[in-house]
Amino acid sequence: MKISRRTFVKGAAAAGGAAVAGRVIPRGLETLVAAQRTTAPAVTEEWVPTTCWIGKQDCGMLARRINGRVVKLEGHPGNPLNRGTLCPKGVAQIIAVYDPHRVKAPLIRTNEKGIPGRWRQATWDEALDLVARRIREVRAKDPKLLVWQKGRSKGKAFYDEAFVKASGATKLHHGAFCSDAGYRACEYTVGMSGVLHPDFRHTRYLLAWGWNATNAGGNQLCWITWPQQLVAARERGLKVVVIDPRLRGAGPFADEWLPIRPGTDLALALALCHELIRQGTVDRDYLARYTNAPYLVAEDGFFLRVNGKEQVWDATQGTARPVDAPGVTPALEGAFTVGGRNVRTAFQVFREHVAQYTPEWAAEVCGVPAEAIRRVARELGEEARIGSSTVIDGVTLPYRPVAIMAYHVSQQELGFQAVRAMLMVMMLLGAVGAVGGQRVDVGGWSVHENFEKLDQIEIKDPPYNIYLKDSKYFPINSNNSAVVARVMLNPDKYGVKDRPEVLIVHMSNPLVAFASQPDLIESYKKFKFVAVIDPWLSETADYFADVVLPAATIEKYEGPSKASDQYVDGVALRLPAMKPLFQSRGDIDIYLDLCEKAGILYGKGGYLDHLNQALKLKAPYLLPLDRKPTVRSIFDRWARSEGISEGVAYFEKHGVKVKGPIPPEKAYGYATHPPFGGVRHRLYGEALLRYRQEMRQRGAAPLYWQDYTPLPTWRRPTMEESPARYDLYLISYKMIEFKQSRSSFIPLLAELAPKQRLDINPQAARQRGIRNGEEVWVESHNALTGETRRVRVPVHYTEAIRPDTVGLPHHYGLWSHPGVREQGPTANALYFTGEGYVANTADQSFHVKVRVYKGEER
Amino acid sequence: MARYAMVIDLDRCTGCRACMEACKVENNTPQAHFWMYVFRFEEGEYPNTRVWFMPRPCMHCDNAPCVKVCPVGARYKRPDGLVATDFDRCIGCRYCEVACPYGVNYFNWKKPERNHYIDWTDREAGAVLDPVTNGAVPPYKNPDLEKPYGPERRRIAGGGHLKGVIEKCTFCVHRVERGQQPACVANCPLYALHFGDLDDPGSRVSQLLRRRPHFRLLEEAGTQPRVYYLGGKPPGEESRQIEAVRARV
Amino acid sequence: MVTQVQPIPYGVGRFSAALVLVILLLLAVIAGGVYALYTQLTEGLVVTGLRDIGTMGGSAWGLYIAFDVYFVGVSFAGITTAALVRILNLHHLRAVSRMAELLTIISLILAAFSVLPDLGQPLRGIIYLFKYARPQSPFFGTFTMVIAGYLFASLVYFFLDGRRDAALCARRAGRLQWFYRLWASGYRGTAEERERHDRASFWLSLAILPVLVIAHSTLGFVFGLQVGRPGWFSALQAPAFVILAGVSGVGLLIVIAAIVRRVLGAHDRLTPEVFRWLGNMLMVLVAAYLYFMVVDWLTATYAAPSHEARISRAIYFGRYAGVYWTSVAALVAAFVLQFRQFMRQRYELSRIVLAGVLANVAAVGKRMLIVVPSQTHGALLPYPPGTYSPTWVEYGIILGLFGLGTLMYVVFSKIFPIIELPEEGVEG
Repeated sequence: MKISRRTFVKGAAAAGGAAVAGRVIPRGLETLVAAQRTTAPAVTEEWVPTTCWIGKQDCGMLARRINGRVVKLEGHPGNPLNRGTLCPKGVAQIIAVYDPHRVKAPLIRTNEKGIPGRWRQATWDEALDLVARRIREVRAKDPKLLVWQKGRSKGKAFYDEAFVKASGATKLHHGAFCSDAGYRACEYTVGMSGVLHPDFRHTRYLLAWGWNATNAGGNQLCWITWPQQLVAARERGLKVVVIDPRLRGAGPFADEWLPIRPGTDLALALALCHELIRQGTVDRDYLARYTNAPYLVAEDGFFLRVNGKEQVWDATQGTARPVDAPGVTPALEGAFTVGGRNVRTAFQVFREHVAQYTPEWAAEVCGVPAEAIRRVARELGEEARIGSSTVIDGVTLPYRPVAIMAYHVSQQELGFQAVRAMLMVMMLLGAVGAVGGQRVDVGGWSVHENFEKLDQIEIKDPPYNIYLKDSKYFPINSNNSAVVARVMLNPDKYGVKDRPEVLIVHMSNPLVAFASQPDLIESYKKFKFVAVIDPWLSETADYFADVVLPAATIEKYEGPSKASDQYVDGVALRLPAMKPLFQSRGDIDIYLDLCEKAGILYGKGGYLDHLNQALKLKAPYLLPLDRKPTVRSIFDRWARSEGISEGVAYFEKHGVKVKGPIPPEKAYGYATHPPFGGVRHRLYGEALLRYRQEMRQRGAAPLYWQDYTPLPTWRRPTMEESPARYDLYLISYKMIEFKQSRSSFIPLLAELAPKQRLDINPQAARQRGIRNGEEVWVESHNALTGETRRVRVPVHYTEAIRPDTVGLPHHYGLWSHPGVREQGPTANALYFTGEGYVANTADQSFHVKVRVYKGEER
Repeated sequence: MARYAMVIDLDRCTGCRACMEACKVENNTPQAHFWMYVFRFEEGEYPNTRVWFMPRPCMHCDNAPCVKVCPVGARYKRPDGLVATDFDRCIGCRYCEVACPYGVNYFNWKKPERNHYIDWTDREAGAVLDPVTNGAVPPYKNPDLEKPYGPERRRIAGGGHLKGVIEKCTFCVHRVERGQQPACVANCPLYALHFGDLDDPGSRVSQLLRRRPHFRLLEEAGTQPRVYYLGGKPPGEESRQIEAVRARV
Repeated sequence: MVTQVQPIPYGVGRFSAALVLVILLLLAVIAGGVYALYTQLTEGLVVTGLRDIGTMGGSAWGLYIAFDVYFVGVSFAGITTAALVRILNLHHLRAVSRMAELLTIISLILAAFSVLPDLGQPLRGIIYLFKYARPQSPFFGTFTMVIAGYLFASLVYFFLDGRRDAALCARRAGRLQWFYRLWASGYRGTAEERERHDRASFWLSLAILPVLVIAHSTLGFVFGLQVGRPGWFSALQAPAFVILAGVSGVGLLIVIAAIVRRVLGAHDRLTPEVFRWLGNMLMVLVAAYLYFMVVDWLTATYAAPSHEARISRAIYFGRYAGVYWTSVAALVAAFVLQFRQFMRQRYELSRIVLAGVLANVAAVGKRMLIVVPSQTHGALLPYPPGTYSPTWVEYGIILGLFGLGTLMYVVFSKIFPIIELPEEGVEG
């Protein structure tokens, strides 16, 4: 039979059609029937309390677990920090728990360091043995050569305290990148450890000073808690003045925006002090009774002391008397002669010191109109209601409803003094520790040991330790890991003899998250052995780890974490929502085994011994020092020591123990017994003068001692000495979607903001011929060394930033996780550290002069 | 019969986008789908700049253009006010999507199991994950989403069920029918989102609408949305979107 | 009746080498389209350039819908020609009437086929559109019903109109004699029958005219009633769709008629008068459509609301300016070409054909401009503008559809006379 062409063609078409249909129709039919599942098996649904591991405040969570599988994390309604809610990171971490790119087993490096790592998987035993052996070796030489770098490890008692003490390691942390310059200023000035936040429930006027309210929380709180209080306060009529080069952080909550030039916060604070004094809106009673303002200062700048006691001028008796003399009525102002010496009260010195810092002067320096400065000072004076009082829970207290919210703004070259000056604004108004006024520590008004320690530092002779503790460079020292990097590269310059050898990095990613990335990379090459404990292969681990120990995420016991929102006190635990995935282990498990293998677990002075103290365990719940406990049992003992009779089972059921409202006696400095813990707030920083002189004597360069002044004194920041073509300031900021570098690869979050960008004012961009979205070079300049660094990044137009300022968010610059290879650079590749780019307290500065230009990618 | 509506307080919103994430995890929506979206706006010129934020769920309009144009009745309006999409019936013509003035519809262009952020078929990971997750994609798959809801017993909850169908915000019908709030409302850290019954004068939404001035988006289009905004103002020509989420499949 | 074994004219049953080549080429194009369709069915519509409107910055409807509208538009030609022949007694156009009717039928089939790949669940679409159809939905309720009616009426008309020629063809023995007999269904050619036939065709074509207007208007309503899409929402859409349908339909008919004339050598039937008439009709329709475009342009540039102005900017000066001004130029050129011939009363076939081609180029461009910019640039909420770039899958399927239509046309013309057999009989 002859098959005609037509027939053939028709047949082929039919065959082809049938083939397609054969593929499509079964699937199609399947969809027609719409994938009816067989009736679901019996479902066990549980809600397991735990806490978030991404941020810093451990928000309470409830994990919804169905047939053993966690399907969602929701906020724990009973936790005072977040009250049943979660930020986007908290919600999104569910996908990170299941991430196939988590480190699945302990890894041992097989190639050289300083480049991306190649690994072989090892058993826990082998990996821990390796690390333990190195710990033993280095401890035999000198425990100080073992360095422990803290990041977002959460279990202070277990790591920062017990492990560090038992091992004798040198502890590095990250406060120098957070707000430690402010901590030092507050500890020294008012004795409280923390930075500035308001009594939100009663504040009526807030200076949001560099506060990124919509994206970042505070020094101790991650996010949710403060914005909840801010929004509630605004509904009660709170007025917010935003002092920031960039408005975006304040969102819609700004009643007024003072777009301040970066690095000039000290000048503005001094001008406010000037205005308050000129206006006469000064709480003389507070200053005279609770500060060293009435102390008599001699011409050499030191307090007049008679028989070792500081003196004041008794106004009624017309003579100088010891400050603690009974019935003394000190004069706040005035110049007097005592024993032939000319003296002035400290307040008089201050008054004369700030006379030069007029609003007009500040307007020039800060770029904020003088009229605005004047107006804010007037409003502060009015809103402070000096002399008024109110009753809180039956206690009558001074009512000064003005405050400052500030923390990370302290991380600039003049940050220590800037925060001192901000405190002084509040001290002048008498708002410190008052109702509605200035608070410093979230927990309550208790005087930190640093109040005395920072006043009595003894500068030692070299050799210094790796972060230059008690050195002539940084007598007040916040322990800056970037400075450590510089020191490691040039120990002789700083009088450091021994370079540390072994580094344990716990939940930290210094290569991306700490400033001055080039210095860190170079310095890490000097470590002989690096162990990293992290759920993911961080960039630091990728380049420099010899061993990576995979930590679990929410699948572990950890804590205890404070759950206090400054009004209600509580404590929470992280509980395992499921068994650790892959071969990861809870961090505490890792440390117990590590200490055991390193021979520092048992006996007196061992890990368990220190843990007893760190957790404040009480008899009969103390850990025996000869047995390795399970992690759960440690928390059980802790809970019982806290007076919770059900032990850890209480937390396994409820997640959080709310202890109750913080009473006014604890919350307000005025209400403690004695008020303010019995200390005198240091308006005048005499010790700072002492350190200055000693640093000079010991031959330290002016750069180190020039900011050790008893009263905050303005000078032009070092970065201004960069050539004029570096005409923009670079600032950096946090984004709500991310947390340092540990969440930028979480796909649900990365999707929201996948790429780095440079915020730039359109006017500034157009002047440089740069269009929105165009890629540019951003080049920073070190005014002292002349070094330049540059990165390539697309710009993002925004009218909410000063024309002379550009901004880069943090969180980018990762390369290790496959999800983030095209992100863009980290801001930390541009920032410098060391001289000129740290504060006088070694705190890192996040300011640098840059220039922005187009040009081909080379 | 309840008459559900959502009230959004723009004076409280910080634009954190936690609601977007809560919706996504609760409803298992695939990549680039934002049933709840949050605009971040900037207005004005330096230094008179203003920044504000606006969440945008589906409006569940009373006069919904999407319901009008659905050829097969897969998109329909329930008596309680929710506008639902029956994923068993949707033929994927996307007419509802082009008809919607608010841009709230998302189409499953890809097979959803290949569109969940991570390749969950990684063998090494699967060996460990599967015993825990039973091969669920995504691993946090919400089992409530497969079931039928409402007296009409239609399957209208959750997203990412199959390729070639449209989906959008359901006001978390699977939660609402259990007496819970939608996931975005329950999670908002600033309590800026509210949901409830307008026919109940004591409900939070009724109280808020009585006490405070409010507006709805694109009222002039005649869609009669069920989402009310307190405080702030509707976005206008002067509102520029910053930090737009530009995810694309 | 003459029982002579004479070949049916107009190439019926005759295959040349060139034709075989053409058919093979068409099959290759169709095969490409099938492969593209297969890719799309297995991977999902992600293989196209379509994406969600709004946050995703895409266009949810694109090439498929644009060509669906185009194919429906082209179907204008057939029934209009048939109606003009029957109602206005324009007998010189009889020679093109079958071509035109076939064009209508094939293009309506292509229109249906062009929507199916656009559905995310095509199988569901076919079944549920019957099971659950909602007439209130402009596209798939009203429109589907109308198109179905339109197609059905066209098929009936085509059937009736071809009975006589079928009867003539059935006189000779051959493989397809059963087919001709079936079609002829007892046609005897008696005067009474012819008269009944003419009357039926007359009334049918009269009835189809309003269906024509309704069909194209309804298609316009698909877009014109959408308050949520600036640029679409307009009372002008319905009438503009009708006119542009005429432009593309008549234009394509001219091209097809010219090809048939060339290939079959039918200069005697497809006389210059036929083309003159078609060319003039095209000119009037193009003028009418240019009028719509000018009205649109004036309204937009004088006082359009900001959302529409944004779209207009993108079309006139922005992303779509290339397509827009090319379409305008093509239309103006088509008009000018025809107008000059009209004014000089001197017609040249090549120029008329060129005008037809230009008109269709403009129609395709205009369809894209109707469908896409209102989605990428027509957001009422402040989403950023979007982009849409069709992929090989979309081009492949559309080309495949053109290939299929052409193949159907060619195959039909090989089994049935594409031009009405002359009155006298087979020997003509």
